[in-house]
Amino acid sequence: MKKEKLILSFIATLFGLLVAGIAFYLFQTTKIVPNTTTKTVSIASPTPTGSPSISLTLDRPKDEGVVDSKTLVVSGKTQSNAVVVVLTDSSEDVITPSAKGNFSTTVNLDEGQNILEVISIAPNGESVTSKKTITYSQEEF
Amino acid sequence: MKKILLFLFFIFYFSFFISAAYAADATPTPEDMTSEIRDQLITNIASRVAQLKLVEKRGIIGIVNDITNTQITITDFQNNTRFVDVDELTKFSNPAFKEAFGISDITKDATVGILGLYNKESRRILARFVNIITIPTIVHGGVSAINNEEFSLNIATEEGKQVTVSVENLTKTYSYTQKDDYIRSGFSKIKVNFNILAIGVLDKKDKNRLIATRIIFFPEIPSSPKVNAALEKVQKSK
Repeated sequence: MKKEKLILSFIATLFGLLVAGIAFYLFQTTKIVPNTTTKTVSIASPTPTGSPSISLTLDRPKDEGVVDSKTLVVSGKTQSNAVVVVLTDSSEDVITPSAKGNFSTTVNLDEGQNILEVISIAPNGESVTSKKTITYSQEEF
Repeated sequence: MKKILLFLFFIFYFSFFISAAYAADATPTPEDMTSEIRDQLITNIASRVAQLKLVEKRGIIGIVNDITNTQITITDFQNNTRFVDVDELTKFSNPAFKEAFGISDITKDATVGILGLYNKESRRILARFVNIITIPTIVHGGVSAINNEEFSLNIATEEGKQVTVSVENLTKTYSYTQKDDYIRSGFSKIKVNFNILAIGVLDKKDKNRLIATRIIFFPEIPSSPKVNAALEKVQKSK
């Protein structure tokens, strides 16, 4: 008796799975989009922008940073044959980067907020600028 | 069959619904008290360290958009709106103001330098020092014209602007070449199409005229192709 019940329930489960499978298959076939309504869309490549070929990355100092020393080290990386101009409110320096494009210099800061502007100029005249705010203060708060 | 079902029911019941039961703690010993105080101290220190990491000193520059008794809203160089809180400890100054200077003296469109504590979570600055400042103007481009009689020159910028630069007695002129490096130079050495940088203040009467304090020119570097393109565009439109 027990064996019969077990076989019957097994068959019933199999039958249920089969019916559910057929129903799912039928449901999926209704979702097919006819070929007449499909359309091929090609995405055009983006138009090249007029961004300069020269790059400039400033490693130091951190923008909006506060320092307690009057002298500030400015370092970064750019094109190796570029000329780098480092400007603050009261001082300036013109340097050439190393063969790998690294550069480093020291500039003087005024008391309070200073705008540090680093301009890298390529031999063809193209340039790129990086601007940072550096505050020289010895105030404790 | 019933036995099996009953057995499974009990296993299920005890697996999911058993809750832990703990014995009551005994009277705390001095070691337990020390341990508790130590844990409390560690928690307090960790909390303070996190708080200190959340706040840092920062200095920003911007143009005043809006001002109230407790807050200044400014626009920084990146065109971001920044919110600055002020309190009774905030000090205000203006080099052009001989008398006492306060928040009510700050006007809209003024350029301010703010030094204070920046909260990384709220992204607001609690100002400790607010100063009215003057930022020098930097013009970079190519020399498009020279007026030897008036000691002035025109700089064409990549944005298509033409700025007249007045060279004064106090103007320091420098040049940079591979051979001579960075040296002191003069107005007479500047030629048309040189790459040039002029730093100074804009004339109050004429916003297209810069009174130069420093000039740096590069005889070996021509004007940027963008400057030439902008110049051509301007000439065609005329």
